[in-house]
Amino acid sequence: MQPLTDSPSLKTKQLPQFAVLQLSGCAGCEVSLLNANEWVQEFELVYMPLVVSAYEVPCVDVLLISGGVRSDEDLYNLKRAVRCSKKIIAVGTCAISGGVANLGNRDEVRELFMSQTERRDLPRLLPKSQPVDAFVNVDLYLPGCPPTPELFMAALFEDDEFNPSKTVCQECGRKKLKDMKPKHLTGFQSGEVLPDICLINQGYLCVGSSTRGGCRALCTRPGHPCVGCRGPSDLLIEKDSIAWLESIQRVFAALTDIPLEEIRESLLSPQLALFLFQFSDYAATGRPPRPKEKVL
Amino acid sequence: MTMLTFPLSRIEGHARVEIEINKGKVLSTRFQAMEKRGFSLMVKGVPAEQMPVIVPRICGVCSTAHHVASVKALEDAYGVTPPPLACIIRELLLLGQLIQNQATSLFVFTMPDRLGVESIFHVTEEEADNGVQFNIAKRALMVRQLGTDLITLAGGQFIHPVKAVVGGVSSGVDPGKAAAFQQRVIAALPTARDLVDTYWDISIRMKDRIGTWGDDQPAYYITSTRPDQPNFDSSSIRVMDPLGNCCSEFTASQFFDTLTFEETDYSYAGRTSYKGEVMRANSLARANMTRRMGTPLADGFLTRLRDEFGTPAHPILLFDLCRGIELVYALERAVELLSSPLDDQDTDVPYTPHDGEGWGLVEAPRGPLIHHYIIENGTISTGEFIIPTVHNMLAIERALRVAAERYITADSVNLELEHAVGRVVRAFDPCIACATH
Repeated sequence: MQPLTDSPSLKTKQLPQFAVLQLSGCAGCEVSLLNANEWVQEFELVYMPLVVSAYEVPCVDVLLISGGVRSDEDLYNLKRAVRCSKKIIAVGTCAISGGVANLGNRDEVRELFMSQTERRDLPRLLPKSQPVDAFVNVDLYLPGCPPTPELFMAALFEDDEFNPSKTVCQECGRKKLKDMKPKHLTGFQSGEVLPDICLINQGYLCVGSSTRGGCRALCTRPGHPCVGCRGPSDLLIEKDSIAWLESIQRVFAALTDIPLEEIRESLLSPQLALFLFQFSDYAATGRPPRPKEKVL
Repeated sequence: MTMLTFPLSRIEGHARVEIEINKGKVLSTRFQAMEKRGFSLMVKGVPAEQMPVIVPRICGVCSTAHHVASVKALEDAYGVTPPPLACIIRELLLLGQLIQNQATSLFVFTMPDRLGVESIFHVTEEEADNGVQFNIAKRALMVRQLGTDLITLAGGQFIHPVKAVVGGVSSGVDPGKAAAFQQRVIAALPTARDLVDTYWDISIRMKDRIGTWGDDQPAYYITSTRPDQPNFDSSSIRVMDPLGNCCSEFTASQFFDTLTFEETDYSYAGRTSYKGEVMRANSLARANMTRRMGTPLADGFLTRLRDEFGTPAHPILLFDLCRGIELVYALERAVELLSSPLDDQDTDVPYTPHDGEGWGLVEAPRGPLIHHYIIENGTISTGEFIIPTVHNMLAIERALRVAAERYITADSVNLELEHAVGRVVRAFDPCIACATH
């Protein structure tokens, strides 16, 4: 078998091999990867069940892992796959923090999960959805829900010249106004948004000011507040979640007249909590924070 | 007694097929969804307004359909009607989803079965020399990309869109961007048409080789697109009998009165039936249940389908051909919609959130998708998701039985069975992440 290639001379070149192991997730990371095509001529894709018929993860140069560890089969596949891979990249919020699956880790929901999901002859669910590095060592974290094709390429190609802004806010380009101070939060999604003006000035609960850049602000530019899917910026990533919360509150204090209590209450809502605590959850579990050098 | 197990690839999610045989007799065929996502449990207590951003994460392949269905369920609960421009932009979003999905299913999932390769991203030495497959792959990825870019244009984010909001959409589409994108689609249409032609031709060659278009019995069909022309931003569901008569039409809220839903003990996905009968959703259902596509190239292909196979048509490999028809339709329809200004009217209406119950319906690429929410104290107390793949579960298992009986005798199991299992399942293009939401 030969990788797909444009030029005949490449056919004989030994290309680095990569594999994509999909644990419990939505396949959005895989779909994002398929939207990038630069890798097609530079890497040989040897395992990715979504697009390749292959049933065992072979030894590869780069192993991408998406999705969380939700079942005993996920755990088995994860441990088998990492045995002989040279570089392991955890991609997407689920693999890094559990992501949206954290909503199922709430105690009252977990009880329902365990009581309603008994099946004959199927993988058994673990008590909680867990991130990949709860079980194996990870060389690089690529957060995002999902990471953009550009981020995937930067990770695969180890591109030193890829040097994104520190925060989503810096990539967004909406103007912050000193004299437009809302008194209360606008509904999370309340229809039309003024163009070119900071979403916080318009009362939206946007956390782009502290969220890691690199996505090119693709939600905030068309008018949707950042939910923080890329996790905290380098400034906050090694600190606990309180530091992140306080940073967001300071931004709202400067740009709005919204009462602090209102901001706090909304930031702690389940939907934002998916992303807000993705790197800081370790403070509570006694695990060390992920070093910023390992996060793209 | 022997159990044959077939792991599956080139479908969305984790699934396998188990075939139980005894002395050459097929006892059972089971299609098993192997993972459990559990969104109906996870969304309990979530603020209702935030559902349109959470539920696309059910599935990265079908995220757009969930995004729009979620907004429609909330609008139903709040009693809001979005303005016409918002509906057009939502239709564009759903067309982007259709282009992306049908191109993926056609070229990434099922084309390798027709070419006898493991993946569209690999070629044999021989293929590399004559370049046929590479030529297909490069053009196929280009067409697929148009779907993703249309989702981005109309929906903001490219996998989990954000622009549909309760009351409408958060902004219009910039005229310059709309015009530029329209030109790209117009330029790509001949390529898409040629690809579908090629797909059709190599499908005929595959049929000649294996001797069948998929010889399962006729079935009932279910869709929520309209009878005159498909619109995926739909409002009611229809069921058609095997002879082509419409036997039921109902709204999303009447779902549980009309269809039977049941769980099984061998799969994390449930299944539905209509009065005990096997149904089929997805592309073949829509092609069988529409008078026309309403765009010229797609109608040409639909006529070809009907001339060759009659109507309603039942062989299961026709699902794949119908995806080709819909790929061309979605591109043509997008060109039509992008011709009018998409930023000259209000894109949303004001609303007041309140507790209540709402049902949201769209036609996803795989069939009718329903979201049902009960809102108490501003948060979700019940979130139900009725997934198109679930309508196809019984049909998949019945078609697998036909394939198994074809290739299993008292003396041997023909190794072609493994390929047949893959072809049957992929014809229905199931989505396991959605089905186990």
